Amino acid sequence: MSFELFSNLVGAFFTLCIFSFLYKDNPFYQAAEQMLVGISLGYGLVYTYNRVFVPYVWQTIVIKHQFVLIIPAIMGILYLFRFSRKLGWLSRYPIAFSMMGVGMGVPMGIHASILVQMRQAMVPIESVNLFLIFIGTIAVLLYFFFSKAHSGAYGKFVNVGKWYMMIGFGASFGLTVMARISLLIGRIQFLVNDVFGILK
Amino acid sequence: MNIFERMQKLDRRWIYIVVALAIIIPLMIPYDSDNVTTPPTENLYQMIDSFAGREDRAILMSFYHDAATMPELFPMEVAILRHCFERNVKVFTLTWFPAGAPIIDYAINSVKEEFPDIQSGVDYCNFGYKPQAFAMVLGMGDNIANTMNTDAEGRKLENLPIMKGINNYSEMNLAIEFSGSSAGGMWITYARPKYGLNVAVGVTAVMAADMYPYLQSGQLIGMLSGLKGAAEYEKLVDIFAAYRDPKIDYSIKVDEDGNQILPGRPFGREILEDDSSKKLSLITTQTKAKFSMDEFAAFSAKYPENMALLNSLRSLEDDMVIIDVTQITPEQRSQMGETMYRELDRLTRNTLYKFKVARIGMNAQSVAHIMIIVFIVLGNIGYFIQKARQAKN
Amino acid sequence: MKKTIPLLIVILGGLIWVAWAFSPHYILQEVFYNQFYLPWAYASSPFAMLLGVLSLTMMHSNKIKTRGPKWQYSYFFFGSFIITCLAGFIGGIQKGSLFMWMFENVQMPMSATMFSLLAFYMASAAYKAFRARSPEATVLLVAAIVVMLAQVPLGVQISKHLPSISQWILDVPNLASKRGIMLGVGLGSVATSLKILLGIERSYLGGGD
Repeated sequence: MSFELFSNLVGAFFTLCIFSFLYKDNPFYQAAEQMLVGISLGYGLVYTYNRVFVPYVWQTIVIKHQFVLIIPAIMGILYLFRFSRKLGWLSRYPIAFSMMGVGMGVPMGIHASILVQMRQAMVPIESVNLFLIFIGTIAVLLYFFFSKAHSGAYGKFVNVGKWYMMIGFGASFGLTVMARISLLIGRIQFLVNDVFGILK
Repeated sequence: MNIFERMQKLDRRWIYIVVALAIIIPLMIPYDSDNVTTPPTENLYQMIDSFAGREDRAILMSFYHDAATMPELFPMEVAILRHCFERNVKVFTLTWFPAGAPIIDYAINSVKEEFPDIQSGVDYCNFGYKPQAFAMVLGMGDNIANTMNTDAEGRKLENLPIMKGINNYSEMNLAIEFSGSSAGGMWITYARPKYGLNVAVGVTAVMAADMYPYLQSGQLIGMLSGLKGAAEYEKLVDIFAAYRDPKIDYSIKVDEDGNQILPGRPFGREILEDDSSKKLSLITTQTKAKFSMDEFAAFSAKYPENMALLNSLRSLEDDMVIIDVTQITPEQRSQMGETMYRELDRLTRNTLYKFKVARIGMNAQSVAHIMIIVFIVLGNIGYFIQKARQAKN
Repeated sequence: MKKTIPLLIVILGGLIWVAWAFSPHYILQEVFYNQFYLPWAYASSPFAMLLGVLSLTMMHSNKIKTRGPKWQYSYFFFGSFIITCLAGFIGGIQKGSLFMWMFENVQMPMSATMFSLLAFYMASAAYKAFRARSPEATVLLVAAIVVMLAQVPLGVQISKHLPSISQWILDVPNLASKRGIMLGVGLGSVATSLKILLGIERSYLGGGD
């Protein structure tokens, strides 16, 4: 048995442990689930140590002698005080440092998700499709404007937004079904091809 | 309990068995089917193809996902890498997830096996896992070598041959992000307005419907949506990038007029819509290289020393010269040389399994979709009949 | 006092960031961003991982101590976590090491399989829960069925117009509704970011004093 086949068999064993949950909850599934969490956490920890802590903290402070970086390193350690009831307020400092970036998110976010989208919704209406997109965008926006009651002619126009959203959610639902099945197809391709070697 | 009540109360484990069979059986019986390409995929293909053979252009692939979404995203990544290696497009890869790093290695190693001339640091460069995505995205707009510093193997970027002609987003002009969630958000919000970077995404089908506003506004130049997008891209690569004309000698890099000779051919709508192009992207195993008489004459003129061997292997069928590669013995293969054998193998238009995974998956997807629609219809029929009966009672 | 200083950091820092987005001045782009913010962000980020480690370790050790439901499986968590860490720190993280082997052959298949279970649940829900109870639900189901059929190669065999109808559904009504929703979400998130920037929204600081 080659090493590659052995590795694939190990993968197939754990795959089937997870699939066994479909029949009913069982010890194999429970154990595999906990191992998944344990290995993911261990992987994240080791990778973060090797690729972030060593080059950006250890080497910059100890080897390149940039001692000012001891301050953000201590600030990072303050994250752990989140679990302490008395000193929990110390964890606010690193959180505040990362939340500073929200200031830049405001103008960039307004540009990319609001202004550009608005500009494209206001193009010259040269075809039926563009007219339909224009009407639909406004109707959907107004549907969520709850300060005005949805009654009379306004209510009828806003109702059009509801139909647009139903078609949009239907398209999303169809694509979601496709996505979920694709994930299962991938797993079964692994079992059928790499383990049993039936397809090549 | 009548049949409709029994239908409504069916144990879900029977449904699971039907689902499993509906997927296992089509996967074990490969058949040829056609995936119709859509404009988002074609636009992305054309943009990457426009960088073919250029030293001052490159693409960046960002693997922003983990193993959970690999079945949909991995075939896309393999197809794009194959396109780039076929058409000599410089590729950079990176990931912002620690769990994405092995996926990049899988993708590159799996495609590289078929391209012995492709070298790391010359034709492609893997940055590996980089933390602080936001800082990197902005830093690459000024200078890639200074921001990224080293590649995944620890080599300094400014010393690598691939960086010749590549400084920042003006040259590495397309970023493709593969993600199962919020794909392309950072690039569209920060890199595109500031530096004019072109952005494309490869998303799971769940996110695809949400990306259409960005496509129409031009913030995304193209999109691959789920397994279907991967299947469409694989088809385009088979028809255009992996195509070899038997008459052309691809070992000569520049022709008499000074134009570059690149493997493959550029995108052409009339080729795509022509029925004969369907034969170039078949899923079933192909073993016969087919030539017209002129093509065979031009092909054998490239290898005059093996003319007798070629004539012994050929057979005629409907005015086409056929060479079956399974009939070539190991002695004949060593006599003709690896270059000629590889070219013959290419001309069978046979696609390796790893380059048609998405299209095989789409066959199973067809059956599964019909099954889901049948479930929805049956469930609704049972429900309405039961409701009508209850109303009558 | 314990909330004021972090709040001031966010407000002042946020305003400098707003200026950064608009001004190409050397002090903002080079001194503030490249020389201050970036090295500090890199240096403080790896410790956040320890939060996750501590949280899970505390939860599982509590479960073992109090003999909570399914407490025996917590040993599997600790065992796999410790073995992975030892393999990584001692054996290294290069390709071919035990650490990467465990990740590629144990974690990756399991993680992919967890997601693939959803396909079964979706089929079960399609049979038992998706009912066309109202005209809107019927429109939703019809749109879903058209898109589902057009995505697969079989769709073009059923009708050669199906792919273009599905593309129209995605390009026009779907686009309009997603754009309307995206504008609403964009306005909402910008409003929330502004509230954080101006110190009105303070929930990220947590409760207590």
